[in-house]
Amino acid sequence: MKILGISSFYHDAAAALLIDGLPVAAVQEERLSRRKNDAGFPVRAIEWCLGQAALEPQELDAVIFYERPALKFDRVLMTLLRGFPHSWRAFPKAMNNMLGEKLWVRGVIAAQLAVSARRVHFTDHHLSHAAAAFLTAPTESAAILTADGVGEWATLTLGRGRKKAGGATTIDLMREVRFPHSLGLFYSAFTAYLGFKVNEGEYKVMGLAAYGKPRWAREMRRILQRTDDGAFALDLAYFDYHRAVDAAYSKAFIDLFGPPRDHFEPIDLSTALGQHYADIAASAQLVLEEVIVDIATSLHRETGLADLCFGGGVALNGVANARILREAGFDRLFVPSAPGDAGCALGAALWADRILFDRPHRDCPDHPFWGPAVVSDDLARLAAEDGFPFARLSAAERIDQVVEAIASGEIVGWMEGATEFGPRALGHRSILADPGNAAMRAWLNRDIKFRESFRPFAPVVPADQAETYFELPPGGARLGRFMSGVFPVRPQWRGKLAAVTHVDGTARVQVLDRGMAPGLHALLIAYGQRRGMPILLNTSFNLAGDPIVTSVAEGYSTFRRAGMDMLVADDVMVRRQRARQEHVLEEVA
Amino acid sequence: MYPVHWLVWIDPHRRARKLLQFAEVEADGARDLFRAAEVVQDPILRRRFFAHARDEVRHASLFRTRGLALRRRLDRPGPDHVLGDGLLPGERGFDRLNVEAESMSALLAFIHLSERAASHSFAAYGAVLGHDPETRAVIQQIARDEEGHMRYSRVELSRVAPGQANRALWASRLRRLWRAYVRTALVMADMIARLILTLLYFLLLPPFALLARRAARKEPPGWHICNACRNDRTGGQY
Ligand SMILES: [Fe+2]
Ligand SMILES: [Fe+2]
Ligand SMILES: [Fe+2]
Repeated sequence: MKILGISSFYHDAAAALLIDGLPVAAVQEERLSRRKNDAGFPVRAIEWCLGQAALEPQELDAVIFYERPALKFDRVLMTLLRGFPHSWRAFPKAMNNMLGEKLWVRGVIAAQLAVSARRVHFTDHHLSHAAAAFLTAPTESAAILTADGVGEWATLTLGRGRKKAGGATTIDLMREVRFPHSLGLFYSAFTAYLGFKVNEGEYKVMGLAAYGKPRWAREMRRILQRTDDGAFALDLAYFDYHRAVDAAYSKAFIDLFGPPRDHFEPIDLSTALGQHYADIAASAQLVLEEVIVDIATSLHRETGLADLCFGGGVALNGVANARILREAGFDRLFVPSAPGDAGCALGAALWADRILFDRPHRDCPDHPFWGPAVVSDDLARLAAEDGFPFARLSAAERIDQVVEAIASGEIVGWMEGATEFGPRALGHRSILADPGNAAMRAWLNRDIKFRESFRPFAPVVPADQAETYFELPPGGARLGRFMSGVFPVRPQWRGKLAAVTHVDGTARVQVLDRGMAPGLHALLIAYGQRRGMPILLNTSFNLAGDPIVTSVAEGYSTFRRAGMDMLVADDVMVRRQRARQEHVLEEVA
Repeated sequence: MYPVHWLVWIDPHRRARKLLQFAEVEADGARDLFRAAEVVQDPILRRRFFAHARDEVRHASLFRTRGLALRRRLDRPGPDHVLGDGLLPGERGFDRLNVEAESMSALLAFIHLSERAASHSFAAYGAVLGHDPETRAVIQQIARDEEGHMRYSRVELSRVAPGQANRALWASRLRRLWRAYVRTALVMADMIARLILTLLYFLLLPPFALLARRAARKEPPGWHICNACRNDRTGGQY
């Protein structure tokens, strides 16, 4: 059976193809359209997925959309009605928007793909999140938690799942919290208030939180209250998204926390104002953690299960994830590589296969590499045409040269095989550098990635040596597989891991299993032999504001724009040559 | 246009805001040109686009630095965007390059025309900035680059499409006109739709709003039975 899963129209669109119960291809539209967080109908992603399996759209048995547009419309309309008459400005905009194409998804899909509308199906947004988390995880029985901004009505769900290779699958979502009460929207309001882009800058809030003290925790707990039944509710006087649709926080919010940050000015943590914003971030982060950890704890008590699968945008919060793992009572915590809405394309397809069509479960390969692969010949051609020194290397030569380069302080673009599905570079589209050099962090932030100086970088370490350098709780290695947890760096190593240790002594470490990315694993081992520590700084291969690179041409262009020293794509290596490059620029000017 | 330009640039708030908006436009332009360099097969064009994109990156940072400096002098900088800002376009006018969808000659013709328009408007802006020599210097410096871009794109157009450059330019001009028309039509349609929807909002919605509020009051916060537990196996939209 051939099933295409699609998510689109809100944050990051994506497509995923399932054949006989196993993923064949999955990619976010932004990686192909090159527009960050592209939410449009994922034409390119669909085309690429079908092309991977040499399928025509008509050969698909089913197309499944990750949520129910009519229910979503119901929520939007109801919200506007409840906000009457304050919602008058938002109403025309929202209606234009929904009635444009979001409400007619069945027709849009049928028309775009030329498939019969009868083959187009829908599922619930949070079921897609649940399926993406549970059906990709190597567990037979697990509790399920999903939390995001909002789907149709639900913003957080609790449930449990059961599956067995060759057998039937069940996913039971038991309870939900509904819009406008939402952990995701709570955090997004602070993202906006702190001057970052909503749905994109949430990482920055988490990074900033480490610099602050939770001085505002009391106020936060007033805004994000617990209900008697163990759920939570937002005090809506402080928010505006339920009325205005595009505004996040209200005047009462500003009266409480002071004026929002001016996003044109960088955060200066040496000033009182900069510290104030860090404190706000720390407080919002703390209270989010308290609520999610508590909900996870009671879910553990209720189900008595050892495993938890966690999906939805909130599962990108690595600090909260690590606390859930340590405190909620579960032995293992599974967060998929794409817990956000893009991952719902794969989740919806898996749900359709196992549950809608009742097909036996098959264990999914436990890796994130479902996107377009590197074509190294392209890099050789580009380098030759532009006069950059390049070479074709054996695996051993490649490792030698990259180790040598990084050890001497160079910055290397590393491309290998298929792209990652999800927001993180997990070793196939990475920028690698020396993790020990503190100046490296400032330099990478400023000159290579053009981003805020307070943002930390992540380390990557082989699984069997992770414990030596990082304080991993039981199950921590699993959570670190897709870089989903933030853990303390052991104090004795912090000085030697200065570029990847955050101000609070933690790191969002990727714990690399040899089988997942053998090339990078071998590189780490070789680097360890040379420098004593098998750890590298691993950051996504893109510049600020761009999606992660997909093709070699994009990697090559980013390598040149950022002034990186070396670029490796499978077996081809290109080096920067300063003199030559400047010469070319002069010639053009 | 002179009095309009003068009016726009005399107000310090608007001046700062425009410069920051121009910075965004230049940054977008740079991104599009880097994209063009990524997809183009011809190595000479790749080199040109790359150098051009780097210029635009520099323009973005020049505009931004100057805009921020002006902004810091204001007591209350005000909002980032104000109705009517769009009337004074930056470098690309209103269009973004659609790199993948265009032929190389169409792309070059588009670049040539928009760089030409940009160098003209930047020259005009410079002419009314006598009261702010620093901003004027920035704009004039950029205007000179735009002339360079205008020239190289014309030369490359003749090289890539010998004998067809004029036709490509005319096609591009017509396309610009057509896009301007479509854009205006869409704006009009949007305004009419908004007007109608706003009328509907106040005329039809009040009773439903009342019902919706009553229902909301009945729905307490906290846990709810899951919608998704209906175990719906139809895969429908509802
Ligand atoms: Fe979601
Ligand atoms: Fe420019
Ligand atoms: Fe230009």
